[in-house]
Amino acid sequence: MKRIIKERVEHFGLSDKERVKADFSEIGIIGCGRVGQQLAILFASRGMNVIFIELDEQLIHKAYKDIEIELDDRIAHWGLTNSEKRSILARISGTLNYHDLKNCDLVIETITTKSKLSAIEKHHKIFKKIEEHVSSKTIIASNSATLSITEMASGLEHPERCVIMHFSTTARESTLVEVARSIYTTEQVCQNVRKFITLLGKNYVRISESLGLVSVRTFIPMINEACNILTEMVSNIKDIDFIARKSMLLPMGPFELADRIGIDRLIRWLDNLYDEYGDKKFKAAPILRRLFRAGYYGRKVGRGFYYYDEHGHKIGIAYPHALSKSICDN
Amino acid sequence: MKILILNSGSSSIKFQFIDTTEQKAIVKGLVERIGIKGSRIIYNREGEPIVHFEGDILDHQMAIEYILGILKSKKYGVVKDLKEISAVGHRVVHGGEKFKDSVLLTDEVIKEIEKTSDLAPLHNPSNLKGIYAIKALLPDIPQVAVFDTAFHQTMPKYAYMYALPYSLYEMYKIRRYGFHGTSHRYVSLKVSEFLNMDLNKLRIITCHLGNGASIAAIKYGKSIDTSMGLTPVEGLMMGTRVGDLDIGAFIHILEKEKLSPQIGRVLVNKHSGVLGISGISSDMREVESAANNGHERAKLALEMYAYRLKKYIGAYIAVMNGLDILVFTGGIGENSDFMRELICSNMEYLGIKLDKEKNNGLRGEAQIISVDDSNVKVLVMPTNEELMIAMDTEKIVKHN
Repeated sequence: MKRIIKERVEHFGLSDKERVKADFSEIGIIGCGRVGQQLAILFASRGMNVIFIELDEQLIHKAYKDIEIELDDRIAHWGLTNSEKRSILARISGTLNYHDLKNCDLVIETITTKSKLSAIEKHHKIFKKIEEHVSSKTIIASNSATLSITEMASGLEHPERCVIMHFSTTARESTLVEVARSIYTTEQVCQNVRKFITLLGKNYVRISESLGLVSVRTFIPMINEACNILTEMVSNIKDIDFIARKSMLLPMGPFELADRIGIDRLIRWLDNLYDEYGDKKFKAAPILRRLFRAGYYGRKVGRGFYYYDEHGHKIGIAYPHALSKSICDN
Repeated sequence: MKILILNSGSSSIKFQFIDTTEQKAIVKGLVERIGIKGSRIIYNREGEPIVHFEGDILDHQMAIEYILGILKSKKYGVVKDLKEISAVGHRVVHGGEKFKDSVLLTDEVIKEIEKTSDLAPLHNPSNLKGIYAIKALLPDIPQVAVFDTAFHQTMPKYAYMYALPYSLYEMYKIRRYGFHGTSHRYVSLKVSEFLNMDLNKLRIITCHLGNGASIAAIKYGKSIDTSMGLTPVEGLMMGTRVGDLDIGAFIHILEKEKLSPQIGRVLVNKHSGVLGISGISSDMREVESAANNGHERAKLALEMYAYRLKKYIGAYIAVMNGLDILVFTGGIGENSDFMRELICSNMEYLGIKLDKEKNNGLRGEAQIISVDDSNVKVLVMPTNEELMIAMDTEKIVKHN
């Protein structure tokens, strides 16, 4: 076996040009719930180190566990190998301390709050807290689709580095990231965000700041309208989903999609959009509100419009029984 | 002539510094994790300790700058001046229909390679990064591209076409191209030299069996068929690739498991082949050892691997109307006497008679492993793609 000598590579360049550290080698995530976990996996699978912040040790432990379950699921469905899983896990670490974000090149928040007013306040506080610990060049992003980035960034020492980066985490393989700049965001920051998204192998789409972005604003009225159709007893859950899938060739119907996104998330989005635009197309349908109040948030809790088994597979129609009888051949 | 050989991947670069007069590598190395934290260069000179150069390597250009810096460094260098590097040879995976041979890299050629990136989106853009980097760092040095597909460009049209609507070929150049061309070409040349026979009078089947595997029918020095297709997934069963598969079965799986094309690609590239069947490993040594210990699926994987090769050998004997030489190369081909025996067993009707004694224990050495009265000579011939790239580069540079 040959002896191994270790050297620093910087001493062997052709010139003495100053070296900078790799762009986007360390990424911070605030909040490691379902969305944060998806992002942690995405960044780590691209070779970046990920530091996520949670509120207590128990939540950190839960995030680790959920990430592992998710990776095992991907292996079971052919999307990943065991060695890739090991290297992804090795790059993700959780902490309670914002100071651990000090070397991050980009920090993205993925937290959720119940009401819009407290949400903006909470996001703003988090942005301030991130700013206290990172360098002035670090990009601070929010994954939020229905909150204003200008509001979140205002009052920061460097508001020009703040941006919305909305990852479509509902569809695991979506290659799209919607980017919305605030009134402060500089072109340079947008270009760096674009570089980051390209490194992730995703498509960058820049849009103007607008609550709901494009993705959420286009499909939310469809789900709401499907709920109205259901209450008008025009058709039932199964058939409405069937019709939407087959007529438009959508991968899933509106109720399947609602359960996948999470009823709680949908309600939050709808309330924020209704508050912003005052348009009744964004007023949450009573059925959605009822499910939300009952805690039937969809696939992640095993019950929404449909029932789900522990693997998240649909096993039957949950709500409302009286309207759920299928009368077509599907 | 001293030539630097670069094989640039998406986040890695394999490199060798070859002296073509001696026909050997002065330095072999690898840059890992380019653009990712923890990047390093592993640098290996014959008879010297291995050196790991660690630190941030942001992109291919920086990686190559460091490679050049190390090659001329006082401490670990092998040249005093970079002018001692006569040329750079690049491995380029896909040359499309345009490149039938290795070629000097001019601006026009680079543009043509950029156009073929569509056919190998995972490989060609990375290969190009190495080319751009050398262009920026050593603008005066001649660069040569050696294509994995070029050797197979002699395949007749009836062999390379898929029986799909012809318009798909016209629009997107969907056809079979074949890969490992540099290895198949090198091995066929070496075998004819080794046996002191005229390559242009021989019908040769070369089996390149590594983690990726392909087989080529070489008639009178020209590839007339090979097992890989538009992509390296087609053909033989491989370490983790599926090889030939009923496309109907694949569509059925995508529908049943609700898989996207991206996941489907991972399924057939990374979860299949020897690993998928054995459930143990893609490493043939581990699978052989498990099979020896009675592991049924490991045994099945080996039997399938050998059976599929046999079918291809039979088919290629048919299309060449006979066979003079059967060659094994690549990690498995050069080192697994067990697999060679399994493949060559019961092939007497086709003129293949293995000498078990010669075959047993033979690893990584050029040697005949068939009995004297075998109509077909069976050989092991170690491959050396980098040397082939260096020889091509030297030839092209001397002629320009």
